[in-house]
Amino acid sequence: MIRVKIPGLLDYRDLAMRMVTSACKLVHARRVNPASGESRPDHEFDAEVVSAFGEAFNNVALHSYRRQGGDVEIEIETSPTAMVIRILDYGDSFDIDDVPVPALESLPESGLGIYIMRACMDEIAYKAGQPNVLTMTRRLVRDENAGMQGHNVADPTPDE
Amino acid sequence: MNFTRNDANGDTVLRIEGVLDAVTTPDIRPTIEALVVEKRMRIIVDVSALRLIDSSGVGVIVSLFKRAKAYGGELKIQGLRDQPLTIFRLLRLDRVFSIS
Repeated sequence: MIRVKIPGLLDYRDLAMRMVTSACKLVHARRVNPASGESRPDHEFDAEVVSAFGEAFNNVALHSYRRQGGDVEIEIETSPTAMVIRILDYGDSFDIDDVPVPALESLPESGLGIYIMRACMDEIAYKAGQPNVLTMTRRLVRDENAGMQGHNVADPTPDE
Repeated sequence: MNFTRNDANGDTVLRIEGVLDAVTTPDIRPTIEALVVEKRMRIIVDVSALRLIDSSGVGVIVSLFKRAKAYGGELKIQGLRDQPLTIFRLLRLDRVFSIS
């Protein structure tokens, strides 16, 4: 397991992102076509995991700690089946289920962070408390159609 | 993040390099505001050297697109790839913007 504690300030975002980027390079994720059973390297894995983490870190720095800073503990654990990222903070809590799904067709300029997190990861769990614990899980073998096609998020603009 | 603005023949090319996120978006907002105030009609946002974008960065580009469209201007995205392309697809912006 990788475990670090850093200040929950945007100034430390790049450092945290680099750590997650490096961790992603240690695993070999694949996408599987459920119909044929064929698989390929998951070229989107790094971009999607880093994107989800970046939004999560923003939430801590901007909302939990309101730009005032505080401890953030980041844990990254990999198994043969998944990468699990836990982010612990001691700031304000929120109810992740109360965050509305953005109406993408109206081109929102904000309120996209949780949507990106849900779309890029397979599971998101948030436990409010001291600390607040956000757990994000991304399977190392993922369905070909997951995420990018709105597989695991509400789809406000379904394809015709 | 670095960015440059070049105006030529009525076009404006806004080239953004590096990372456009919650940390860096405040730096580019005055330039975005200037483009809108000047009512630039053809804006090309060159992101070929953009390494990373987050929802804050997307918000800045979407805001520019909507405001330019409101006064009759147009915005194109050029050089979209890697993580920024992933995010644009995820948010279905590849269906909205003219992307080359």
